[in-house]
Amino acid sequence: MSNKDQLSSQLAELENRFRERLRVELAEMANVAKQAQSDNSDPSSQLVLRDQLHKLAGSAGTFGYNTLGTACRDLEVQLQQQLDNPSADEAIIRRLAAQVIQLDTLLIDKADTLRHAPSASEEHAIANTDRHIALVVEEEELAQQMSQTLTSFGYQVSQFAELPEVFKSLSSLDAVIVDTSISEWKAQELTEKLRTPGSEPLPLLVISSDDCFNSRLEAVRAGARGFFTKPVDLPSLESRLERSFTNYQAGPFRVLIIDDDTELAARYALILTSEGMLVESEFDPELLLEKMHAFGPDVVLMDINMPDFSGPELAQVIRLNDDWLRVPIIYLSAETNAERQMSALLKAGDDFITKPISDSALLTTVYARAQRARMVSDALSRDSLTGLLKHADIKDQLDIEIGRAQRSKQPVSIAMIDIDHFKSVNDQYGHPVGDNVIRALSNLLRQRLRKIDRLGRYGGEEFLAVLPNCSIEDAQQILDEIRTAFVALKFSADEHSFTCSFSAGISVCAAPDWPDEGLLDQADKRLYQAKKAGRNQVCSESDKAAS
Amino acid sequence: MNKLERIIHIEDDLSIQEVARVALEIVGGFTVKSCDSGAQGLAETPAFNPQLVLLDVMMPGMDGPQTLTELQKLPCMANVPVVFMTAKAQTQEVSAYHQLGAAGVIIKPFDPMTLSEQITEIWNTWHEQ
Repeated sequence: MSNKDQLSSQLAELENRFRERLRVELAEMANVAKQAQSDNSDPSSQLVLRDQLHKLAGSAGTFGYNTLGTACRDLEVQLQQQLDNPSADEAIIRRLAAQVIQLDTLLIDKADTLRHAPSASEEHAIANTDRHIALVVEEEELAQQMSQTLTSFGYQVSQFAELPEVFKSLSSLDAVIVDTSISEWKAQELTEKLRTPGSEPLPLLVISSDDCFNSRLEAVRAGARGFFTKPVDLPSLESRLERSFTNYQAGPFRVLIIDDDTELAARYALILTSEGMLVESEFDPELLLEKMHAFGPDVVLMDINMPDFSGPELAQVIRLNDDWLRVPIIYLSAETNAERQMSALLKAGDDFITKPISDSALLTTVYARAQRARMVSDALSRDSLTGLLKHADIKDQLDIEIGRAQRSKQPVSIAMIDIDHFKSVNDQYGHPVGDNVIRALSNLLRQRLRKIDRLGRYGGEEFLAVLPNCSIEDAQQILDEIRTAFVALKFSADEHSFTCSFSAGISVCAAPDWPDEGLLDQADKRLYQAKKAGRNQVCSESDKAAS
Repeated sequence: MNKLERIIHIEDDLSIQEVARVALEIVGGFTVKSCDSGAQGLAETPAFNPQLVLLDVMMPGMDGPQTLTELQKLPCMANVPVVFMTAKAQTQEVSAYHQLGAAGVIIKPFDPMTLSEQITEIWNTWHEQ
């Protein structure tokens, strides 16, 4: 092991310890911030807070939490200014304190850097039982059926007799499914009651006996993310549930700020980070494209007037790259002349925010644009049946993960998965039933794999899974577990019920060679071996006789 | 010029203390003595006889600049460079530290992978002057 490898592994251990301490420290800071909020005439809690922020500004970045470190530093500077020249405006301290209380939302940025993700087997084991669904359905038979299906997908399901019971258990729940025929169904009340203080309302799916416009409208007003009429199509309900989590838990929005006024840029960054977004600033045009690649922003915020070039020129440079066509560019400008605004938009760019910019205008515009961009981008790169990545996109992800594995010296496993005798399912029961089988397997894979794993539909009934930081032995074990769960699923078509299985082949990019070529081929050959050996199995070793 | 071997690190943040120690020991091959405060640093310095002092600026009690003034009174500190480590990166602050007699300033957050290189560079420059 080289010195640097040895240091990496020691750092990983220190980082784990740091992360544990960080949670405690952030909670302590939040407490001090609350004190500062409640009594802003007494500077002692502000002094404590400044020292805590200073400490974290120094240490967080060293452990890779750059966004958190930068945010602490910004807050420290602002708090110091307040201490040097106490302003009579109480709102300043209250706002700073509120931002300190929200610092823990920035902890997520570390999740992006897989370097020290928990081991694959640990996390796969958790992923499948950590979602708790409340079911409020009166009809006994439907409730049983739904409970069984959702359990087989790895959800934990609790049946509740009435809504007030659900409201009492909100903190332990991840989603709620409600039948509108229950007696106390009142749409307006539900929206507010499914929200725990300080967080998003829980995902809600609604089941209804009638399909009229008014029922749907009422469901939307209750905040529903899905509406299903009876008889309920359970696979599509499960699919919607899965998707509502994907939206719900998609990582924070990433915003890149390009402004020559660094103080202003820091201020925008602070406002956006205080809402949990990840923000980076870049002003050097030489480094801009590199930053776009490395950071992958959802939105670019750009000053329209800069010393050596204009915003629209820079926007056009960004637009020259196909990869960035989907990224909205928002100009920050003192320009109020509508004609000149239009001419800037015609060249490139999507929107204007006029200076002076209020916090809420900035947040709303960035949030709306980022959300929309992510949905469009997602829809374009995902397979419509399964919601998984398409062939080309999963291959891109594979290359990215192999590169990362080689750099970080953490193995990445690659699994080719193919449903057994799929053609005969289609022939015997028809394509809609075949589609259900494909969707069920894709949902099962998504459920059982970690958020950092990449999953794509490689061909008709063929899937490709890329598992970073996962040894081939772990991958074999995980795929075998998923295989067992898949075989246990009962599909129904007309009067018949049937089961399906899959075969899989696994290859790995790991020490000592860290190969970057031939991995797909090898996985494919092992998949063929698994098929030849009788299907319904996972193969992670090459057949010596055959090679 | 002697080879740099012994570094004393004075830092109240234990997370930073640990990272710096493993980074300097593993990559740089240095022997590192970690101290939690300026007072402890002053007490340990004569016996450890460091060749370089790495000193946090903002510490409760005795801060970095105060510790530096006290360290400079110790006979064993003659010709021993002191490097400040700070999260404050303002240019005027950095030059103020140099005026106090600091051989260099390392800005937090720092990259553990290159910390030893940074220290070695400061060590070499110090001895060239």
